[in-house]
Amino acid sequence: MIRMSWRRVRLLIWKEFLQLKRDRSMLPIIFIMPVLQLIMFGYVIGTDVRDIRTAVVDRDGSVESRLVIDGFTNSGFFKQVAAPATEAEMQTLIDGNKAQVAIIIPEGFSDDVHAKRATQIGIVVDGSDSKTASVASGYAGQVVASLGRQLYPSRLSASAGGVDARVRVLFNPTLRSVNTMVPALLAFILMMSTQMTMSQAIVKERERGTLEQLFVTPIGRAEYLIGKLVPYVIIATIQITLVFTVGTIWFKVPFNGTLLVMGSGLALFALTSLGIGLMVSLLSRTRYQAQQAMTFLMVPSMMLSGFVFPLESMPAVLYPLSYLIPLRYIVVVVRSNFMKGSGFSALWPQFAAMAIFAVVVFGFGLSRFRKQLND
Amino acid sequence: MPAADAANAIEVHGLRKTFGDFVAVNSIDFNVGHGEIFGFLGPNGSGKTTTIRMLCGVIAPTDGGARVMGYDVCAESERVRENIGYMSQKFSLFQDLTVDENLKFYAGVYGLSDEKFAERREYILTMADLHGRETEMTGDLSVGWKQRLALGCATIHEPRLIFLDEPTSGVDPMARRQFWELLHDLAASGVTLFVTTHYMDEATHCNRLAFIYRGDIIAEGTPNEVKGALMRDTILQVEVDDGEGALAALEGSPGIGEAYMQGALLHVNIGERTAAEADLPGLLGPLGFDVRSVEPVEPTLEDAFVHLVTSQKGAST
Repeated sequence: MIRMSWRRVRLLIWKEFLQLKRDRSMLPIIFIMPVLQLIMFGYVIGTDVRDIRTAVVDRDGSVESRLVIDGFTNSGFFKQVAAPATEAEMQTLIDGNKAQVAIIIPEGFSDDVHAKRATQIGIVVDGSDSKTASVASGYAGQVVASLGRQLYPSRLSASAGGVDARVRVLFNPTLRSVNTMVPALLAFILMMSTQMTMSQAIVKERERGTLEQLFVTPIGRAEYLIGKLVPYVIIATIQITLVFTVGTIWFKVPFNGTLLVMGSGLALFALTSLGIGLMVSLLSRTRYQAQQAMTFLMVPSMMLSGFVFPLESMPAVLYPLSYLIPLRYIVVVVRSNFMKGSGFSALWPQFAAMAIFAVVVFGFGLSRFRKQLND
Repeated sequence: MPAADAANAIEVHGLRKTFGDFVAVNSIDFNVGHGEIFGFLGPNGSGKTTTIRMLCGVIAPTDGGARVMGYDVCAESERVRENIGYMSQKFSLFQDLTVDENLKFYAGVYGLSDEKFAERREYILTMADLHGRETEMTGDLSVGWKQRLALGCATIHEPRLIFLDEPTSGVDPMARRQFWELLHDLAASGVTLFVTTHYMDEATHCNRLAFIYRGDIIAEGTPNEVKGALMRDTILQVEVDDGEGALAALEGSPGIGEAYMQGALLHVNIGERTAAEADLPGLLGPLGFDVRSVEPVEPTLEDAFVHLVTSQKGAST
């Protein structure tokens, strides 16, 4: 039924680029905005974090080891979500973002306590979310110090307890916040750019009457849509490459992931963003309206996605809302892949969620596009 | 090729479009012959644009159908769109593309070969008097130039049928005249023109007219046939000191069909009576109006349409 002419699609793309080139307000937005955001968001300070997802590897299984675990969970900062038997299992949990912190209580811990010998517990912190990580390691230090006073009451010195916590930060040993911001920015800028430009694209043509003109020519709906989408996908790709390059070279953010995983995650997410932009463009009567709608949609994405503020610091009432924010999933994907090299096996739930969003949102945008032009 | 065999350029039967409960076009019928200049007239919101959009295959009719250049507007909308030109009131050119880029774009859209494009480009630049301005931004051109370039882009593929949706609104009288000369040239070469306008003087350029009101065609025929609806009525042109006031006084007076302002003058339809019988000075004088002159005039198309709309309103209430 749909007969596509690539010649017409190429013409539409050529025309779109010519128009973009001449739009003085668009060019700086396209190339300067990403770098500006990179600089701004690269240095956001951490905030209060509660209920950090914690895995506990209890090799000792004693009254004393229980006391340690309770010490952590009763503090309110940590919430036990798993009890893996081995360190390998623990590693999987951290890779899959199921746990952000792991506490390892070694065998013979209680013996050491009974014998009044100095002893150690291991604390592993996932540094790929640097704010949570730095806060978590700080809290862990406090909890361990107070445990020391509890388990070794005879010691008088408050500072020198008998328990030594060895905090090991995985993946982002220096806890530089820029290391976690750059990957997330890839997703955020992709979202901004595709939604902003797409939301303007069609409403602009309708305002000027050129949309009306194009549809009385042999240009088909599918050709028109592809001609609109392709230029903005190309631009978004350039922007992301720019952020990636500046991030890894200038900000020296180490890239431990694979381009395949990150690329397919971003592509899937781009579909959702384009779909949202398309819908806004079709539902708006003027460009101004489209702009307002975009700003309105942008705020929850920033707040509820874990992009700027850790999800853990969110009030419990708002937390379920974060599941409705597509950015939430892609932020986990790019961060985990970028820093830990997590692959599809660990990130499939995020990929599944994004696939659902892409199908629903983009599909709705398409059907709206058909309907709008038929009336 | 069925197009060449079609008896008429446009054949409309029972064409209907509703949006929810609103009937935009109410089962209309008409034909437009090859080479005609067909005027499609009506007030804003009467269904003109909806009809054009259906005829161009942009929106689907709710009921009924139409054949344009021999192609069915529903089943063969792509063929329809290949064989027509369309130009709207908004000069829907890309304002931020140059003259040449606009031409190149539309030539590509209609699949013109390079040689054909070179030939048509030359023709359009001459027709629109745009030689030397090929690299100027379209948005910077004057309205008259834009309009001629829009016509050029809409006809770059040499369609045998062109839809013109209020092509001259917002254009100065001089440019309008030049534009109509171009349209007459096209018609002389056998191209069919389907024009909507609300300038009544432009309607007289048409071979045939249809007047649409609230989704119904309420009159159709040559300009003279349409004026013939008023054959037995007398129209008086009245010069009075306070036109607005006199208008209010006349409305509702017995024996007065319609009264309305025509520029500074008043047009009054007194039905099948003579000026002496109606005695407007005798009617308005006692009310304090200074009637300077009263003379019967030949009914214009505008008189005819006011009459048609008024009688339509009377019929529906």
